[in-house]
Amino acid sequence: MNKQFTFEGKQKTTLIALMVLGLVCMVLTWFAGGQFAHERFWTNFLHNVAFFTGISFLAVFVYACKVLAYSGWHSAFKRVMEAISMFLPYGLVFMLIIIAGNYLGFHHLYHWTDAAAVEADPILKGKASFLNSNFYAIYTILVVGMWIIFAYKFRSLSLQEDEDGEDDNFTAYRRMKKWAAWFLPLGGFTSAGIIWLWIMSIDAHWYSTMFAWYTTASWLVSCVAIIILLLIYLKSKGYYSFVTQEHLHDLGKYLFGFSVFWTYLWFSQYMLIWYANVGEETVYFQDRIREFPVLFYGNLLINFVLPFLVLMRNDTKRKFGTLGFVAVAVLFGHWFDFFNMIKPGSLKAAQHGHGGHDGGHGSEGGHDHHGELLIQQGTEAKAQFMGGGGHEVAEHAAEAGSFFMGFDIPGLLEIGTFLGFGALFLFVVLSALAKAPLYPEFDPYIQESLHHEVEQHAPAEHH
Amino acid sequence: MKENQEVLFGLYDDETELLEAVKQAKAEHLDIMDVYTPFPVHGLDPILGLEESRLHIAGFIFGALGTLTAFLFMTWVFTRDWPVIFGGKPYWSVPAFIPITFELTVLFAAIGMVVTFYTICGLGPGVTNPVLDERISDDKFCLAFQTNGASNDSINSLKGFLQRTGASEVHQKVI
Repeated sequence: MNKQFTFEGKQKTTLIALMVLGLVCMVLTWFAGGQFAHERFWTNFLHNVAFFTGISFLAVFVYACKVLAYSGWHSAFKRVMEAISMFLPYGLVFMLIIIAGNYLGFHHLYHWTDAAAVEADPILKGKASFLNSNFYAIYTILVVGMWIIFAYKFRSLSLQEDEDGEDDNFTAYRRMKKWAAWFLPLGGFTSAGIIWLWIMSIDAHWYSTMFAWYTTASWLVSCVAIIILLLIYLKSKGYYSFVTQEHLHDLGKYLFGFSVFWTYLWFSQYMLIWYANVGEETVYFQDRIREFPVLFYGNLLINFVLPFLVLMRNDTKRKFGTLGFVAVAVLFGHWFDFFNMIKPGSLKAAQHGHGGHDGGHGSEGGHDHHGELLIQQGTEAKAQFMGGGGHEVAEHAAEAGSFFMGFDIPGLLEIGTFLGFGALFLFVVLSALAKAPLYPEFDPYIQESLHHEVEQHAPAEHH
Repeated sequence: MKENQEVLFGLYDDETELLEAVKQAKAEHLDIMDVYTPFPVHGLDPILGLEESRLHIAGFIFGALGTLTAFLFMTWVFTRDWPVIFGGKPYWSVPAFIPITFELTVLFAAIGMVVTFYTICGLGPGVTNPVLDERISDDKFCLAFQTNGASNDSINSLKGFLQRTGASEVHQKVI
């Protein structure tokens, strides 16, 4: 049994090559990313940082659930979850760049960072005590910092089990349980604020009480998909012989179940907003259905229809081929989902920044058009707009109809950036994995995990 | 359920003993009537050569039937039979149909599977189910052979087999 993972030079080279590819794509986006190149660059950055940081957070969360629920079957591959959670510090560093941008104005992700726009906008003014750069910075640093402390605590207590050896009192495990009990409420509630600030506030006027749930479910499915893919990969490399079909079968159930859970939350959010039919809320879906139909419906196809139909059967969860295929599709699908959350709002912001008003909002009527203004670039555009009412509406309705690569659908540069960030993520995860034995010999549940069996009708290929 | 079955059965105290006994019985080509255990014993089904249950296929069909019933019925009601506008929504308001469609899918699948299962097993109201020994739903593991028309010699050799493989009790019963 191969208990120690070695991070080979070849793997490192491949991942570094992919990271370079990602970097090249980001540079290309900045200099040749089309009409809204800088907006595209920063949204890509935020998109990938939020996606992978969230996955890392969910690994800590699932880990805490496992510890608190006396769950045994995870134990065999708990080092993978620990390794995934080690990406959190990198996520925080990337977020510091975005935080700095809020103050220094070198990116235009959030409309509410623009003081003049907030002043002219009663809705943003009302939200200013929450949506402001100071709160964003302090909350992000404190909360992600707290997650990091918990992630490192779980990791160190888990390694301490190995050091302690046979311990009838399970000292390290019992301490882990206390930390886990604290982490579930703390992590659960604080993550909602993170999602509101990082992602939901791009559509600064809009809000949805379901959004935090829905986004967390997206992270959770992605986290399970990454665990599955890492295990299949490591098994193919000859590691983790003690993680069998049985474990992957249960992880497949997670993938199936949480995909359905995600759909449930997606639909709950959609139906409540559709049913209430309040203009400020429906605008979010109006924009997406009218102008981004590929994103909107594609999202449901990849993240619900595909895993639901493929993983419904028993045997597809037990075959590494189909399970791996669905995991890849769903991982990409949820990245796509985040794209769908972030890009339409920021495209709108970018278009406004170029001095105009989009047709989509015009029909909403009612309140002050200044409130809809998402000024990005310089006072010129602002002055022009303050003076005019909605006279540019028609002109911009035409503009909204055109196609913007990197906003309407992910372009090659987005895919490249995704691969780059993914490679960095994997590099961090595999480095962490190489630092400790894969086999947690003194985990109190390791024997239960080794003998985990879910399938009664196991056919011949059983072991 | 067949009437007047003469059954010879052995009670084991432990599932590992039972598994060994079933393996050996299969190796000696003995005709096992059935095996009764108080809980699902892992690894027993492949040894007995039981096929995977097809109940879930019935479940899928019933579920799909529920989906169609709910969706088509609501579509018919709200577009043909009795069109009413609710809350300014169109007649054919798909999002409002989804929760009911979901509920009926679950309901049809659940009830359909229960009925199918009862039918296959010959269970239902008024059916009495003969029990070999009440302890097989508690802590005994039972391996049973049917002995209708079997010679004394073969019954004795089966008894020998049960005792040899560690059965703590061997009984004969007509059910």
